[in-house]
Amino acid sequence: MTKNRNLADLLNADGQIDNADIAGGVNFKNIIINGDMSIAQRSTSVASITTTGYYTIDRMRFGVNNFGTFTQSQSTDVPTAQGFAKSFKVDCTTADISLGAANYGFFNYNIEGQDLQYLKKGTANAESLTLSFWTKSNKTGTYTFELDDNDNNRSISKTYTVDSANTWEKKTITIEGDTTGTLDNDNNNSLRFYFWLGAGSNYTSGTLQTSWQSTTDANRVSSSNVNLGDSTSNEWYITGVQLEAGTTASDFEFLPVDMNLARCQRYFENFDDRRLIWTGDVTSGEEYFHQTSFNTTKRATPSVTVTFNGGNYFNGGTLTSASTYNNTNVLNASCTANSTNARGYFDYFAEADSEL
Amino acid sequence: MITSVEKKYNLISNEFDTYKMILNNEKVVFVPLDPANTDYQAIQEWIAEGNTVIDNGGNE
Repeated sequence: MTKNRNLADLLNADGQIDNADIAGGVNFKNIIINGDMSIAQRSTSVASITTTGYYTIDRMRFGVNNFGTFTQSQSTDVPTAQGFAKSFKVDCTTADISLGAANYGFFNYNIEGQDLQYLKKGTANAESLTLSFWTKSNKTGTYTFELDDNDNNRSISKTYTVDSANTWEKKTITIEGDTTGTLDNDNNNSLRFYFWLGAGSNYTSGTLQTSWQSTTDANRVSSSNVNLGDSTSNEWYITGVQLEAGTTASDFEFLPVDMNLARCQRYFENFDDRRLIWTGDVTSGEEYFHQTSFNTTKRATPSVTVTFNGGNYFNGGTLTSASTYNNTNVLNASCTANSTNARGYFDYFAEADSEL
Repeated sequence: MITSVEKKYNLISNEFDTYKMILNNEKVVFVPLDPANTDYQAIQEWIAEGNTVIDNGGNE
């Protein structure tokens, strides 16, 4: 084709260039942050998991309740030639063969309401959503995906099937728009989804709610859902998670690593890679404050964990207080000197957590 | 799982401004008084269950 023809191909009916044709189609269409599982600030592998939490890959929460014991990791096992380098993996290390009624296992993601206003949920123009992802497991069979409106206690569930054992498969699920229940325009958890890996009868004993309804626990999970916790042979992988407006799944939207990291740091920031330090002349018994800015403004004032690393004239080294002073940009920490001297210092590591 | 929660006071203003939360894995987390913070929400639930926050007052 000629250059003139190529340019014409970029123009839409209004003679404008479509956003999708700019910069390889990056227009933040993917609601999911870190859907390629590339950022893992907390750790790359955590063993002996028996409770719900954020363990390795940023933004990705693993839920377990008397569901066995798991190792959760950032894996390099990925679909071939799809552009992904990392996946989210759970591996059952102690089985729970018989699920109690209230027991469950899930992979969960939570979304701020202010990022979803363009979906027009709760109006006549509510947008449909399409989820696409790659998954792999030795455990074939039926799995449940649930989208949950946390503001209005409404939810919808769909099933998908892992057809072939130990084989990466791409799945696509479309969720119709919900004309009931607007999402709050704030920084709290408005919309969340669950990939159910197993659930007891409290969640499976009803009729699966395949259209938007008020949430009834018994209708959330398919009665045919597998139990990933029933054998230590079981493992489950996921990557390339994309949730976008509309009824078709487009190619996964890859972001540069710096942008992806910054988006993750809105929810969690780890200072392990840059030790924080206070230095100056000190007087025994006096408390000295160190203040530093976060790389990224947090979703909400974060919880802070500080770990004393070392120092001169701060022996014993307990950081006696730390706070953000209700500020989403700044970390404060302090330590009390135990000697009077020139050129004292203390240094420490910190984590700031404002996850949903 | 929360083991204990203690009120922390600002050393300059002497106002209560942070919770010191200790988890059963011995992790110590300083939690701001922000209702949008999920640890703050967890502490409020923990208090509602009948647990008591340690309060040694300011000017420690």
